[in-house]
Amino acid sequence: MADYYDELFKLCGFEDEEIEEERTRIEKAFERLGIGPEDMETADSWVRQNHDVTLKGVRKLLGAWLKELIDLVLARDDGKKIVYFGFPAILGPGLMLSASSDDVFVCAPDMVLDHTMGQIFNKLTPILEAGEANGLPSGHALCSLWQAKIGGVALGMIPVPDLALASSYYCDMGSKADDLVTAQFGVPMAYIDGVMDSSWGEYPDYLPERVHYLGAQIDQALKKAEKVLDIEIVPDAWEKSQKDSRAFVNNLLRLLDLMRADPVPVSVAELELLEALSGSSTGRGIREGVKAMEILIPELEERVKAGTGAVEKGAPRVITWVGHCADPRVTRLVEDVGLAVPLTLTLAWVGGPPFKPKRTYATPGEKIADYELATGIFHGTDGVIKRFEMGAKVMKLDGFIMNYLYNCRPDALLSHNTKKYLEEKTGLPVLALEIDAFDSRAYSAASLRTKVETFAHMLKAKKKSAKE
Amino acid sequence: MKALEKLNLHLKTRLADLSKAKEQGRKIIGYPAGGYLPEELVLACDAIPVCFIQAGDNTILKDAGAYICRWFDPFWRSQIGYLTSGKDPYYTIADLIVTPITDNHTRAFSNTVGYYTPEIESFVFGVPHVKDEYALGYYLQGINRLKKKLEDFTGVEITESRLKQSIRLCNRERELFRQISLMRQSENFAVASKDFVALNHGSFIADKGVMVEILESFAKEVKDSAPLLKDGPRILFTGSTLARGDSKVMDIIEDTGGVVVMEEFAEGIRPYWGNVKLDGDLMANLAQSYFMDRVCPGWFRPGTERLDFLIKLAREYKAAGMIWYQLMYRESYKVESYFFPDILKKETGLNMLTLESEYDAMETGPMKTRIETFIETIRS
Repeated sequence: MADYYDELFKLCGFEDEEIEEERTRIEKAFERLGIGPEDMETADSWVRQNHDVTLKGVRKLLGAWLKELIDLVLARDDGKKIVYFGFPAILGPGLMLSASSDDVFVCAPDMVLDHTMGQIFNKLTPILEAGEANGLPSGHALCSLWQAKIGGVALGMIPVPDLALASSYYCDMGSKADDLVTAQFGVPMAYIDGVMDSSWGEYPDYLPERVHYLGAQIDQALKKAEKVLDIEIVPDAWEKSQKDSRAFVNNLLRLLDLMRADPVPVSVAELELLEALSGSSTGRGIREGVKAMEILIPELEERVKAGTGAVEKGAPRVITWVGHCADPRVTRLVEDVGLAVPLTLTLAWVGGPPFKPKRTYATPGEKIADYELATGIFHGTDGVIKRFEMGAKVMKLDGFIMNYLYNCRPDALLSHNTKKYLEEKTGLPVLALEIDAFDSRAYSAASLRTKVETFAHMLKAKKKSAKE
Repeated sequence: MKALEKLNLHLKTRLADLSKAKEQGRKIIGYPAGGYLPEELVLACDAIPVCFIQAGDNTILKDAGAYICRWFDPFWRSQIGYLTSGKDPYYTIADLIVTPITDNHTRAFSNTVGYYTPEIESFVFGVPHVKDEYALGYYLQGINRLKKKLEDFTGVEITESRLKQSIRLCNRERELFRQISLMRQSENFAVASKDFVALNHGSFIADKGVMVEILESFAKEVKDSAPLLKDGPRILFTGSTLARGDSKVMDIIEDTGGVVVMEEFAEGIRPYWGNVKLDGDLMANLAQSYFMDRVCPGWFRPGTERLDFLIKLAREYKAAGMIWYQLMYRESYKVESYFFPDILKKETGLNMLTLESEYDAMETGPMKTRIETFIETIRS
């Protein structure tokens, strides 16, 4: 029998039989999340306003996120052993755990909350406020992604995990906030440590010692996970985990290829949903994401053939650093002022120029570490900047929008040097824009509009004068 | 105190002495505060270590603003400001800047050195955030690379005997700091915290041999001196960084009648609790002492070692209260300051006052009110 949420779920790509199949779980999850009939109108208009729901693939993609949310909220009820990791993370360990046992649920819960309670229900603020009240107060430039995680746990929306894969190879906040979770909820930690001690200019090289150290830390964390979760990591866990990931990446590459078209066929806000899914889920979300892309690809091929898209043909093309995880209005702002965004730099890790791991390492941890250091993001600041530079070569660009996250220290390190470096190296203009990609209360689309609009005017004028 | 006068005189001419040494071909190795650079290695190749330790003046942050956004620890932004503006000659006299990378705030500095001041040669090595055999091995390979770099840079081989000699000198300095600090465990002591901190800060830029002599004189002087005439609450003062030039909180504590009996800071106070062993593999001994044995800063995981150490210090130094002084945006300390007061209260019965700073003069008034209230609460 239909219920108040059916229409929203259909809007998010659920088929009737899927809703029936999930009905009990949906209701249980909604009760825990505090979602009721009164939220449906807002959710419906919020989704329609921010996502291209004329595309079935986009609707299915939103559905993939909803399925991930339900699985997260009910993981304890489902009898799963729960493992949380942070974002961004080296995904290998989480994927291997997930591939080793059907009884283990592994995800980045804050990203799931952002993409559902934020992007679908527009109800993230109470969760962020709960995070602020439970150890991560506002006004201190603390990570709002972590506020969502702590808030979600404190409100009882998401379960307390059995283990946290705590990373200290990138941000300082992550595993320290994991300490907070331990202090408050007694969660065991498996630390994965690394040191971003690259010399300036070192990328794409890296010392073998870094691979050995990070690799040993990953292997050690996996051993601890086996012990805490009482599971055995199967010998082919890495290969198994790559099966779904590979399909995901291949489809994403096809989509990014379509984004080379002029006009770009879809808003980058939709592609952000995909990129974030691959960095947050190790289970159903990934599988559903693959299916959603199989629908989305032919839809976008049609648009490319018809010459229609998210912005008008000939619009200046810019690359941005990240999309907004909780409020797509911020991501869409760039397109709203008439700029085409074929790629975010986060997506360029998939669709950009290939990177070259050394592939000479033996242990699973070392293999993962080698790959991740080669990608640049966990290498150091100049690794990230050089990936920007390389990304510019992939898509024909007119400029960059370096929207760095003020409350993410590794990201904020890019605030000034990236603009100078890219302008000097590529000759393209760069707008450095301070944002919070997980909370739009202070950094809203409205507050950022003036800067982006001015930049867009400048790019359009430049493009026009180049034609004349 | 005559020893302190001697230190002040020495520091007055220190820059001129450094310039002269430089002219004579000696290399000056600059490095940021944090205690992870074994000065022994620098001394063993006849170079001169100079630690970047100045901060506390909000105006320098404006200079840093041209290179990095404001969401970094003001101590580290100060380091960027001094380095790039040339407003403090200690920052520009270095021939080589070595940065042990601890967290992202340190990276803000090392990125600036690498990208914006390529004319100054630089070297980085990493300090892991956990303590285990792999982390120790990683730190050791870092300082081994540093040893090689210093040898190449100075042209002086760091032989076993040279290294042993410099370890002896640095051990003596640590012993003296420890000896002086421990005096404050008694009810009647003659060591003013501000003097102890001044010695510490001085030791980061002074000639090592001269500094040891000064510490020896100071230890003797305080041993023979009458106890300080202070009956205020004994305060354990802790935090991320206590820079040279950042005396605001200590001044207020003193003005409001509190007595700081111990300072525990990751940056700005030299780790002095242990010595480096002189037998066996000296490089391994340095790694063991500087990385493994040292009580870790707040950005290590888990943070329990340091928090347990604070409880131990509170007991041994008979503290009546704890003042936790963190700098804005140093997230490791911010997060710990949320859950540690309950642990401290449970373990020791003590209260903790948390203060936060961006080196802004406007902070003084509110800080004074809060410290006064805290001291009064302890007294009542």
